[in-house]
Amino acid sequence: MKRNTIVLGITLFVLAGFAWAGWANFEYRRQAADKVMAATMPPELVIGGDDGPPSPLLNKPAPSFTLQDLNGKKVSLADYKGKAVLINFWATWCGPCKLETPWLVELRQQYASKGFEILGISSEADNLTDDDKDGWAKDKAAISKFAQQQHMQYPVLINGDSIAKDYGGLDAMPSSFYVDRNGIIVATQTGIVSKDEIEGKIQKSLAKTTAQAGK
Amino acid sequence: MLLTRSAWLRIVCSTAICCTAAQSPSQSLQAQFSDPAKSDRLPLKQEAVQYLYPEQITAPAGKSTAVVLHFRVAPGLHVNSHSPKDESLIPTALSIPAESGVKLDAATYPQGTDFTLPADPESKLSVYTGDFAIQARITAAPGDHLVEAKLRYQACDQQQCMPPKTATVAIDIIGK
Repeated sequence: MKRNTIVLGITLFVLAGFAWAGWANFEYRRQAADKVMAATMPPELVIGGDDGPPSPLLNKPAPSFTLQDLNGKKVSLADYKGKAVLINFWATWCGPCKLETPWLVELRQQYASKGFEILGISSEADNLTDDDKDGWAKDKAAISKFAQQQHMQYPVLINGDSIAKDYGGLDAMPSSFYVDRNGIIVATQTGIVSKDEIEGKIQKSLAKTTAQAGK
Repeated sequence: MLLTRSAWLRIVCSTAICCTAAQSPSQSLQAQFSDPAKSDRLPLKQEAVQYLYPEQITAPAGKSTAVVLHFRVAPGLHVNSHSPKDESLIPTALSIPAESGVKLDAATYPQGTDFTLPADPESKLSVYTGDFAIQARITAAPGDHLVEAKLRYQACDQQQCMPPKTATVAIDIIGK
């Protein structure tokens, strides 16, 4: 009887050991999976431009930058000192960008004589390294094709991703910053808006400058 | 009953999705453009695509096995299907890194549904919204493999697009 009790106890102990090992293995794998998910799928994307906080860049000097155009020529924001500038970040994969670009082309023609310019900055977000020649060539070809199809007669710059951090991260496209002649961002825009609203913001950048210039 | 950390995470995520879903009707009914009074607001951050299940797969080692991977697109968003109608758009695509112990033999993607942006009623997109599933065939080597599969996608809502992402899909695959 005593011997049976000991055997039963040992058996139960071994079974408990197996159960614990199985549970520990399951938990280990689950925690490993959780760690991978937490490390690789952080909240990353965005929805709806209507409810977030105002851009911290509003009423601040536009961050300076120098980028290349499609011909390799360096273009700086400082080159446009004294002009009202619409800095328009876009991407070839962005449908809403395609919709607003014809309006930008028209508005640029309409307001150019008043000292207005647009800098269209492509931000493909494909994390190309500097030595990825094939990747850059492919990007440039796609950007060039887009620019030709859309008749973009204003400067088209590449590698906007390199200045994304300065401009708030560029979490969504299109993203626009309206800069007055003094280099101050007087309006911003995330997502597509009506042509009238774009025009209103262009007028705001010009009007505010006029008011300041008159002081 | 005790809940694991993963279970709590699911409950929290589900609650967040429900909350977003509750807001979506007003978003979908808004004018075709962003509210002019609010277009200068920064976008809110949210995960666009969530991997649902399975978390664990047991497959005969060395044999091609069919698995179905389920995903969910957040309310109010869409991602391009695997066959978008414009070559400039980025297709949704699944991959499994080499040397992970599991080979992706083939992947069959669902057909996209037609989607039209309110601001551009003449153009049709091929997209996934809500839940979608990818039917894959995998071959697993013997043993346990914590596979970090990759889902490449690019998401938009009705007014804006988010940068393309390559999300990691963690699956515990056991080859027996």
